[in-house]
Amino acid sequence: MEGLYQEVLAITLRTLWISGTATILAISWSIPLSLILISSKNRISIFIQDFFNALISLPTVVLGLALYLILSKSGPLGFLGLLYTPLAISIGQSILITPILVSMITSSFQKLRDEVWETAITLGASEFQASIALLREGTLLLIRAILAGFNRAVGELGVALIVGGNIKGFTRVLTTTIALELTKGNFELAIYLGIVLLTLSTIVTVAIRSLGLRGAYR
Amino acid sequence: MSSKALIIIVLAIVLSVALLSLAYMLFTSEKQVVLRVLTTTSLYATGLLDRLAEEFSREHPNIVVQFIAVGSGEALRKAELGDADLVLVHAPSLERKYLEKGVIYCGKIFAYNYFVIVGPRNDPANIAGLDPIEAMKKIYEAGERGYAKFVSRGDNSGTHVRERMLWKKAGLNPKGKPWYIETGSGMSQTLMVANEYSAYTLSDIGTYLKFSSKLTELKVLVDKGDILVNMYSAYLVRESKNEKYAKMFIDFIVSDKGQEIIGCYGREEFGRPLFYPVKTASIEELKRMWNELAEE
Repeated sequence: MEGLYQEVLAITLRTLWISGTATILAISWSIPLSLILISSKNRISIFIQDFFNALISLPTVVLGLALYLILSKSGPLGFLGLLYTPLAISIGQSILITPILVSMITSSFQKLRDEVWETAITLGASEFQASIALLREGTLLLIRAILAGFNRAVGELGVALIVGGNIKGFTRVLTTTIALELTKGNFELAIYLGIVLLTLSTIVTVAIRSLGLRGAYR
Repeated sequence: MSSKALIIIVLAIVLSVALLSLAYMLFTSEKQVVLRVLTTTSLYATGLLDRLAEEFSREHPNIVVQFIAVGSGEALRKAELGDADLVLVHAPSLERKYLEKGVIYCGKIFAYNYFVIVGPRNDPANIAGLDPIEAMKKIYEAGERGYAKFVSRGDNSGTHVRERMLWKKAGLNPKGKPWYIETGSGMSQTLMVANEYSAYTLSDIGTYLKFSSKLTELKVLVDKGDILVNMYSAYLVRESKNEKYAKMFIDFIVSDKGQEIIGCYGREEFGRPLFYPVKTASIEELKRMWNELAEE
């Protein structure tokens, strides 16, 4: 039981680490992209926003398969040797959650934009300065988007299984462990891990809710 | 002031990404050799492979063996793409195809057991103790009359390949029949489905034994016949860069020590071993059967 507890702990920490990296990666390009989309009002930016909205429900197995073919030894990026590594999962998950981040940031910031952005521009601020003002005003909304993205990354199975390979002690995360324990017939352990996963995402969801409420009352 | 803040934010993001990737590089590029083994699920789910790898790593601490559990069909296809150093599979007819393509080579049979036809306890198709092919004919008949169902893996795994061979030898094609259910999932899930539907299915004995406590509606009905021999083979993958180490792993599992682990595994828990080491049968006999099965 001692060993089991340690393994569950290690898997949970690995899950947080891998999905956390994915979230940071996604943030690093989602925020600038969202700000660019907000600041320009042309058709292309509206089209891109619609496109990302559509991609929110992208099935994880489809993304996993596409990434597998790209990262495979015989694929275009095979020389990187990323397949079946934790980084491959992180990259996959970061792509998976980018549409969520972009949609949430753009849609929630669009309301703010009218007040903050226009005022800043009117007062003579540059677009960069206006972006900063927008980010500062929208911190809570931003955190909410980030947590939603993280939640999706932690809970997905397809990408982690296909490009991670569920290798023991290396790329095994909560969702892939649950799938494996089910295959082994260890329903009890699968349920136990399910509770861990559910607790994690519940904490994050509650955090999103409370931030959302506080944001709304501002 | 604002543009300074922006620069700081951008710098912070870039730095954190750079640091994370650096940490990953250090994390992944250890000096150890990593052996990627694509293995059939039935072997992995029993826990035997982890046991073998543990013993192997004790002898060769610089080699890390990583298992990726997939079906035999998927394992061989991925080997062709160059994504493994070794494959452990149990589908002779598929293996032959990939051997001819030159994807895999230097194969060794390292363990065997039997496939069994399991079915509902009351055995509506009356197949208990029959020859496997006769049994398939009876199941087909009973299925057509509406009092038996058959659950198939439907995933091009070793077990599925064998099941198709049995149907073919019986001269029947159940595909598309309402009583023929394809799960497309692993052996354990397929057994659970068979249990729920009170249906017949083909299983390897290892997975069946491991699950038997949960399969209250099912029992083993047919377990005799050369055509039910289930042979597990290890192959080197042509594209692999770790050929030397992959060969060491194969040599280990066919060595006396490896064979002893295979022969003992599961004996305590189930009262009988889940797999037989090859030395308990004549290797010539196994090779003859492998060739027969590969013909199909």
